[in-house]
Amino acid sequence: MNQEKNAIIKLQSTSQLRTTMGDYFNRLKNAAETGHKKIAWCTSVGPAELLYSMGFEVYFPENHGAMLGVGKNADTYIPTAVAQGYSPDICSYLTTDIGAFLQNETPLQKMGFKSIPKPDVLVYNTNQCREVGDWFSFYARHFNVPILGINTPLCINNLTKSIVNNVSSQFKELIPELEKIATQRFDIDKFKEAISLSHEGCVLWRKVLETAQNKPSPINFFDAAIHMGPIVVMRGTQYAVDYYNILLAELKDRITNGISAVPNEKFRIFWEGMPLWYKLSGMAKLFAKLDTCIVASTYCNSWIFDDLDPDDPFESSALAYCKLFIVRADEIKEKVLKNMIRNFSIDGIIYHESKTCNRNSNNLYGLQNRLYEKTKVPYLEINGDLNDPRCFSEEQSVIAIETFISQLSSHAMQ
Amino acid sequence: MYRIGLDLGSSYTKGVLVNSKNEIIDYQLVKTGFDFKKASKKIIDKFSKNHKISYPVFTCGYGREQTEIPFIANSEIIALAKAVYNKYKKKCSVIDIGGQDTKFIKINKLGQIDKFKMNRKCAAGTGSFIEEIAFRLDVTALEFSNIGKEATEKIKINSYCTVFAVSEIIGRIKQGTSLPNLILGIYHSIIDRCIELSPIEDYLIITGGIPDNHPIIIDIFKEKFVNSDSPEKSQFLAAYGCVLLNI
Repeated sequence: MNQEKNAIIKLQSTSQLRTTMGDYFNRLKNAAETGHKKIAWCTSVGPAELLYSMGFEVYFPENHGAMLGVGKNADTYIPTAVAQGYSPDICSYLTTDIGAFLQNETPLQKMGFKSIPKPDVLVYNTNQCREVGDWFSFYARHFNVPILGINTPLCINNLTKSIVNNVSSQFKELIPELEKIATQRFDIDKFKEAISLSHEGCVLWRKVLETAQNKPSPINFFDAAIHMGPIVVMRGTQYAVDYYNILLAELKDRITNGISAVPNEKFRIFWEGMPLWYKLSGMAKLFAKLDTCIVASTYCNSWIFDDLDPDDPFESSALAYCKLFIVRADEIKEKVLKNMIRNFSIDGIIYHESKTCNRNSNNLYGLQNRLYEKTKVPYLEINGDLNDPRCFSEEQSVIAIETFISQLSSHAMQ
Repeated sequence: MYRIGLDLGSSYTKGVLVNSKNEIIDYQLVKTGFDFKKASKKIIDKFSKNHKISYPVFTCGYGREQTEIPFIANSEIIALAKAVYNKYKKKCSVIDIGGQDTKFIKINKLGQIDKFKMNRKCAAGTGSFIEEIAFRLDVTALEFSNIGKEATEKIKINSYCTVFAVSEIIGRIKQGTSLPNLILGIYHSIIDRCIELSPIEDYLIITGGIPDNHPIIIDIFKEKFVNSDSPEKSQFLAAYGCVLLNI
């Protein structure tokens, strides 16, 4: 019989993560219940620093979308949004979130929320996709609150000064509108402080992810997808900095003591695309059983904004948020991937073609073949979706993954 | 002592009995139904009637871990590649059309898999596509293939999805298009979906239950790819490969 060997060593920082995230949600709940602080909704790679610096509590619907995905109930919510005219082929974060809202269900209810926190303003950045604007527009209409947006050009190849200037101006244009809603006026020093904290948090997050360059890796993609919570929702605050100092220390300690994320790491994989939120644990066990560690991903790396500079807060914000992987042209993506393949000693790449997220599926325009020709690193494409489990065939994917690892193994023995 | 290789597929379970010279001496095919354990037991019982079996058995396919007898499970893609390379002993590409999925495998000159790909989560290009359309047209799979042979011209089926394809076919019948020509179009549509899995640059081997039962598919492939072959009883290759992998 095949031996089960799917033991995964949990990070001790997970309990601190729960506390840090719990405190974040408590601050939001308090603001929602007392109204003593205004609530801004923000896209996951939107101008969080600006909002925190102006005293808002900041809520991230994408984080909520992922929580719904992890809860494995997305397929019960999506049809409700579809019935309202939202296509099942568009972002399933959007359809899951709107569907759950229309059914008055949220995982936040387990934390004492009556519903998701009502926004005072919605702020998005289209650097990741256009859907975020449509998503936030639904809530702007529903709650009759202002919606503000930064419209970033997509598929940026040459990141020119004019693009950065344009986006920087859009950051600045948000301020008078936000001042009408916020309880406090914009303060450049507070903004600089938030940028500084964001930079510090991002550098720590980068260092956390870079520990996976060590062989064996002390962290895998499935850990990172959970531990990225603070950098997504508390970017620009001391809370994120404090948390990543703790996590980084644990990972360094693991390296010193030879503790690996996957007990018997033999193969090192790059995960390209969105996580399968409803299958995180199952996939983690599958890869562990195959002695395989997913050591890097562009998804988790998306929250490294290390160009942020408190001495030049607007320009550096524009630069950092335009440098984001998802907003770049394939030529740039190819270079980024090539570097990561080298830096993380990657044996193979898995492209997750997410049915409802074309923008974060990078095997749609031949990049996978071009990269293979340049690196000769084998790749596998699997079909699935970030949230909608109906788009994922587990049997087919498991066979494909097992075969892929055997393929790597036979080549390694050569 | 004889060894058993089992490919527990979604539609059929295929078994081979292999002697000490690694030759197949018997084949068994049963409908899988909903019970993989029952299907595998049927085959093992038949083989063990007159032969002394060495255990464990070697399995692959969707039900590869669904047998009550001691087993060693394998990936059906690796097993198939092993059996194909064992027969042809050269660099080649494989297109395997099964009941539930279609696979492309690129095998290098050492017999290793360089690349493989499976169909997207969609029935088009798989055996289910034929089954569904045959069911809706009220003909058996065998009749379906025979009717296709009478085609005088190829009709292009535009629909991407099985349900739309059925609607399109019914619409075409209403317009007076002959059934044989439509069926030939359906076969071409399946082959087009297989070919788009990957460029085919090497010697092509066509395998699987669908080509075995619909030889017209092999004929069309051979027209398109001169350097191609489809071995007899190719749907048993993966089961055989399981045994070869464990020599």
